[in-house]
Amino acid sequence: MTQAAGIVLAGGRSSRMGSPKAALEWHGSTLLRRICGIVARGVDGPVVVVRAPGQDLPELPDDVHVVEDAREGRGPLQGISAGLHAVRDEAEAAYVSSTDVPLLHPRFVAAVLGALDGDTDVVLPQVGGHRHPLAAAYRTELADAVERLIAADRMKPAFLFEAARVKRLDAEALLADPALAALDPGLDSVLNLNARDDYEAARARPAPEVTVRRFGALRRLGDGLPDPALIRAATLGEAAAAAGLTLDEHVVAALNGDQITRDPQAPLAAGDAVSFLAADAGG
Amino acid sequence: MEASPTPGGYFGRALVVDVTDGSAETLPLPDDVLRAYIGGAGLGAWLMHELAPPGVDPLGPEAPLAFCFSPLVGTPLTTSAKFAVVAKSPLTGLLNDALASSHFAIAGKLTGHDAIVVRGACAEPSVLLVDGDGPRLEPAGDLWGLPADDAERKLRERLGKAWRVASIGPAGERQVKYATVSHDGRHAGRGGLGAVLGAKLVKAVAVRPATKVASHNPHAVLEAARDLRTRSFGPATAKYRELGTLANLLAFNAIATLPTRNFQAATFSEAPRLAAEDLAEARGIARESCASCSIGCEHIYRSAGGKGVRVEYENVFALGPLCGVSDPDAVLEASRRCDEYGLDTISAGGTIAWAMECAERGLIDAPWLRFGDADAMLRAIDEIGAREGLGALLAEGSRAAAHIVGQGSIAFAPQVKGLELPGYEPRTLQAMALGLAVNARGADHNRSGAYEADLSGRHDRLSGGSPHVAAAIGTEDRAAVMDSLILCKFLRGVFDDPFPEWARLLSAVTGWDVDGDELEATARRIVLAKRAFNAREGWTRGDDALPDRFLDESLDLASGRTATLTRERLDAMIQEYYGARGLDPSGLLGTEQMEDLRLGVPVR
Repeated sequence: MTQAAGIVLAGGRSSRMGSPKAALEWHGSTLLRRICGIVARGVDGPVVVVRAPGQDLPELPDDVHVVEDAREGRGPLQGISAGLHAVRDEAEAAYVSSTDVPLLHPRFVAAVLGALDGDTDVVLPQVGGHRHPLAAAYRTELADAVERLIAADRMKPAFLFEAARVKRLDAEALLADPALAALDPGLDSVLNLNARDDYEAARARPAPEVTVRRFGALRRLGDGLPDPALIRAATLGEAAAAAGLTLDEHVVAALNGDQITRDPQAPLAAGDAVSFLAADAGG
Repeated sequence: MEASPTPGGYFGRALVVDVTDGSAETLPLPDDVLRAYIGGAGLGAWLMHELAPPGVDPLGPEAPLAFCFSPLVGTPLTTSAKFAVVAKSPLTGLLNDALASSHFAIAGKLTGHDAIVVRGACAEPSVLLVDGDGPRLEPAGDLWGLPADDAERKLRERLGKAWRVASIGPAGERQVKYATVSHDGRHAGRGGLGAVLGAKLVKAVAVRPATKVASHNPHAVLEAARDLRTRSFGPATAKYRELGTLANLLAFNAIATLPTRNFQAATFSEAPRLAAEDLAEARGIARESCASCSIGCEHIYRSAGGKGVRVEYENVFALGPLCGVSDPDAVLEASRRCDEYGLDTISAGGTIAWAMECAERGLIDAPWLRFGDADAMLRAIDEIGAREGLGALLAEGSRAAAHIVGQGSIAFAPQVKGLELPGYEPRTLQAMALGLAVNARGADHNRSGAYEADLSGRHDRLSGGSPHVAAAIGTEDRAAVMDSLILCKFLRGVFDDPFPEWARLLSAVTGWDVDGDELEATARRIVLAKRAFNAREGWTRGDDALPDRFLDESLDLASGRTATLTRERLDAMIQEYYGARGLDPSGLLGTEQMEDLRLGVPVR
């Protein structure tokens, strides 16, 4: 069993946004694709998307599982329940995220999960005067307790927090993590988008600053770009374009020296290091 | 299967020379055997089944060593001028095939044989000559002790430029267990085949073309050659052309798969000093190609003494980061000395790195041997080449040396089946971990290129499972065919649908109605033939394994993740590999598979 899974709630009516949030464009990708990728980097277990019954979703990586709410429009507890049930045999805890947090940083996910200890069932960030139950960590064994609340029609997360051992993390506590303080000093990870204006303002922000390196014969590409180079890119595709590369069958990328990918929609976050290398590693 | 008595591209016979008295016999190679094994490494596996007595001492006179050519040799198909040297390895005690390239392959085949097998032992240092006049032996006392390059040059001066020579260096003469066979500066490097020739007192084998061989459809072959040549200039080979395989070094360092200090780490902080990206400009003096090759992967760097040194990722990794050495002058000099002695750089570097760790732990009395000490590394190479001092121990390879030293040192001896690991960290490349564990030759990156799957982005390279098993089998099968056709693996990226494309090449040369499916079956047969030979020679299930270090120690990555390869995970992959290959749970072939190997057929 892994320590932590990711649960991304994609349901919700998006009524103030005017169109489904999950499919909103984000630097050549979609909001849902981005959040799934960011959450995946903060957990060591599976990532599950919870959608409304029959809801259309944008394209997702093959390793993202999709489950459905039992009923539509009953609020976040319904989605949390579906998600916790889906992962409880595979993980001890889960980071639960909404779809509409495009500035979420993987380090935030890791920091919240890292605060979970033996005396805690829920780690609940409290930033800007608000509790953030959809940017929080939950023990998966809470699945039955959540189900009981739903059966009793007690649909607010607050009812769960009354029944569980909750550790609240304020901004000061979160920023005590030096890595998070460096990468997301404003805790924009919890900035959620409700209306069209919110989306457009967030979309107009500069993409995160990342470091790109090109190895071997790829270094001569990039039109004089130094190596390494600091660029702004929200996805691997944007980073490749900035480096003068195309993510075809001859080029792969390593994210922070770890995951290898050639998915142009792979999300990038501030402080990431992207290494582009020849796909053929023969030697 | 439609048989033809004289398939194009073949002579249908092997020359078997007993160097004890110079006698020779011709071994007919039936059409169905050639079709079942193609040539090169595949044909070599079959020949060893037929000609090596069970349990033979690899360094004994009864042990055969085969130079195997292939149907594509001599055609204009790019990278086809390659040959396989095949024998039971003195390093592993199992089947070993090592490839080298260039004119020896063409001249050797055009002696009129698909393979030249050497067995017996000479009474004095000798050279075996083979041409249209048959085989004969000449004394080689004046060549004994010379580096292979010098022996080759002297022989060609004496015999004439039409002769091509494969020679051993002083390490082969002294039966260092990882001595190479060399031709034109390129080494059939792995597994100690130079020691096999050295034990026979055969300094060199010289061949001169005496005949020709026709393809079944020369026009189709020429068309295919033109097409392949064009494709060989494309992006799939750019890496090899532009910087060579050393381009791996800095990239592998960035993804934590650069073995460092005897696999105690997977990144080397001083790696940039050895990077091709910079060294090529500062030290590159030439780029060379094998005969019949349009890729030109060989990058020659200037060493501190001004001499040119062929630079590959594997020699720089093994004599650099693996030993903790970052001085490019020292690494180039170490590589040059290995070439001069005729030492496999991977096994030399791996064995020295193991000894450095032993010295660091106080397990051997060699306080001078320390990670990062370039002079100590060079001294160790010299002692190995001379089999003097500590070199007498290290000349046996890391597994045998660890058994002598004991004290738990086998746990960190970087070897599988006795063959030292190449520069691919198994904990961060877990498809490759399987490939390294199960391959017949031992820890090897040329017979199992499973790292391709790890670096493809399609699987999590830190979490080996079923997809990794399938990928490892795929790369092993493709390598089996490429090593038997023979085509250089640096060409593999230009094939979109390899087995059907290779079948068309083979069909044009031989006239066989071979298709991709048949060639895939051939690949599986060759892989299993090697396994069957090993089983005959004492291989057991426990030999498909990795050293304890990789299973007991995790690696922390810069990303925050930890790379861990548990025994359970590796064993699960191995069992799944056996199942997918149709082997029994102990990794052995079944009756039908053994029958398919066409062993014991009457060939005389």
